[in-house]
Amino acid sequence: MSLLNLNPQTIKQLKRFKSIKRGYWSAILLAVLLALCLIAELLVNSRALMVSYEGEWYFPTYTALNPGTAFGLDYEYETNYRELRAKFEEQDQGNWVLMPPVPYNAFENDLKVGSYPPNPPSLEDEHYLGTDSTGRDILARLVYGFRIAIAFSGLLLTFNYVAGIIIGCAMGYFGGAFDLLFQRVIEIWSNIPFLYVIMIVASVVVPSFLTLVIVMAALGWMQLTWNMRTSTYKEKSREYVSAARALGAGNVRIVGSHILPNTIAVIVTFVPFSIASGVTFLTALDYLGFGLPPPTPSWGELLSQGTNQLQAPWIVTSVVVAMVVVLLMVTYVGEAIREAFDPKQFTYYE
Amino acid sequence: MTSYFVRRFLLILPTFIGVTILVFTLTRLVPGGPIERMLNEAALAGAEGGAAVSSGFDGRGGSVLSDEQIEQLKRYYGFDKPVVLSYFDWLGKVATLDLGTSTRYTEPVWETIKSRLPISIFYGVATLILTYGVCIPLGIVKAIKHKTAFDNVSSALVFFGYAIPSYVVGIACLTLFAANLEWFPLSGFVSDDFDDLSTFGKALDILDHAALPLIAYLAGSFAVTTMLMKNSLMDNLAADYVRTAIAKGMAFRKAVFAHACRNSLIPLATSFGNTITLVITGSFLIEKIFNIDGFGLLGFESLVERDYPVVMGILVISSLLFLIGNILSDICVAFVDPRVKFGSGGSNQ
Repeated sequence: MSLLNLNPQTIKQLKRFKSIKRGYWSAILLAVLLALCLIAELLVNSRALMVSYEGEWYFPTYTALNPGTAFGLDYEYETNYRELRAKFEEQDQGNWVLMPPVPYNAFENDLKVGSYPPNPPSLEDEHYLGTDSTGRDILARLVYGFRIAIAFSGLLLTFNYVAGIIIGCAMGYFGGAFDLLFQRVIEIWSNIPFLYVIMIVASVVVPSFLTLVIVMAALGWMQLTWNMRTSTYKEKSREYVSAARALGAGNVRIVGSHILPNTIAVIVTFVPFSIASGVTFLTALDYLGFGLPPPTPSWGELLSQGTNQLQAPWIVTSVVVAMVVVLLMVTYVGEAIREAFDPKQFTYYE
Repeated sequence: MTSYFVRRFLLILPTFIGVTILVFTLTRLVPGGPIERMLNEAALAGAEGGAAVSSGFDGRGGSVLSDEQIEQLKRYYGFDKPVVLSYFDWLGKVATLDLGTSTRYTEPVWETIKSRLPISIFYGVATLILTYGVCIPLGIVKAIKHKTAFDNVSSALVFFGYAIPSYVVGIACLTLFAANLEWFPLSGFVSDDFDDLSTFGKALDILDHAALPLIAYLAGSFAVTTMLMKNSLMDNLAADYVRTAIAKGMAFRKAVFAHACRNSLIPLATSFGNTITLVITGSFLIEKIFNIDGFGLLGFESLVERDYPVVMGILVISSLLFLIGNILSDICVAFVDPRVKFGSGGSNQ
């Protein structure tokens, strides 16, 4: 397929994309953020990166939990590595604990004697963005919430794309009764008040990650389908399709290896915007309380806490800044891709 | 053309029935309805600190209501019949404009909804006027001054509004301007002492409360409309007929306003009808953020409270508005652009 060994057209588009600096750098930055997200356990975690205890080295991050007794403590449940670190420092016997930069996970309530959460940001407590109203670290919840939101959008995107590409191509390629039938289905489907119906569904079945993706995909597959239909319809009447057919290519081959690569612009341009809208939607649902069940870390849940606790502005500020940065970058990438694939030149007569 | 719109209006009916059947069935089949909520509350009140109260009809052990009372309740809410039958009961009532009785307020659903509508309509109309009033001139200026400093600076702003969802703008405004700087009130549609104010004071009070929500509403539609206007005007400026007009000696200014502008408004018309819907759907979040007692907040609260008659009532009204809004858009397009012919070639837009 012409997609794999880059053809001159693709190289040209890549070059054009690189020349749009904002979009290019945003893409790199986003890729770095995503990579960091995948190894978030090494950066934001209550488990230590490394423990050196009586000459032996432990790496607890990805292993089974180490009971407190493993490090000479008097309890059987999981070691509290922050306390262990403090203890080792106090004992000064050559044992040491190396904690991640943010030594909290997204679920633990770090309650301090004499102060009620939410607590403001503090370098000393290593709560760099403060804690939320139940004493959980905001930075930890932001990072893990981001990971969940991106995974959610990615999965939603996959569902929408599989449905959209298959149905859309079939509609445009076969036309006729099939096309008409799905036109009506899409017409009816897009008249459903999207947000409200999802809220209703989410209020009657407490949604899990997967059900929420499926419900949203079931209500959101139409737009890409419609665009794929239009572009397949256009490509179908081109000569190369007739040529392929004259050579004896079957329907699947014509659509799969001839038409589809030529509609790649539609598919690719939609990716960043779909990701952005996935994140936005999940956050909105979580904000309203109809999203993923607690205690799942989520930006929407933090936003809702923040608006209920306006005396703790660090909650709202953290989430809003995070959302603005991520969504701006995604949109920059989207704009750059759009421009790379469809450079529209305007001419004036003045 | 007329037949096309008649067909569109007739299509409202099956679409409407489809949407309501879907949601109606959902609210019936899944546990957590009004009766179970009552049972749970009764059980909670009855057996404090007792065994865990299980949800669902089977966990009736700790309930303080007799089976007979439960049957009565079911009959009252229409839960005693199969889903299909009670759906048609409900649909028959809707056809006679009876949306049922709210289980939370125990007053007719229509009354509940009606009392909230003026607030939502106020915000809807204000947003509509502001959007078109700001975006069309801005789009024109941006198109004419393409790639100048003004265009670049305003593009950055527009882009920001495009990338950031309106509820985030709303929350940011609320935190910054209402909670921290205290320039604007935190929530509500009017102040508590509204009735004592003079007419001028009343207007000022509403404006004071409306400023932040309106910014949030505007942020949602601002970017798309402005860019639509700019791009379509630029497309038209590059078109042959404008070149002809200028080649024949027409002033550039006149060519823009007399020829290009009119044609550039056509794409805007496609979204005109949808603004009706925006009034309803966009408001769930913003009304919740600013605690404005409108249509969206009612929908949200009735969902939280499992007040299904109101949920269904709101669904009825919002999906009808949605459907009518879409048709209205098409009528607008046909109205401003005589070239558009729906029905024949219109399916391949």
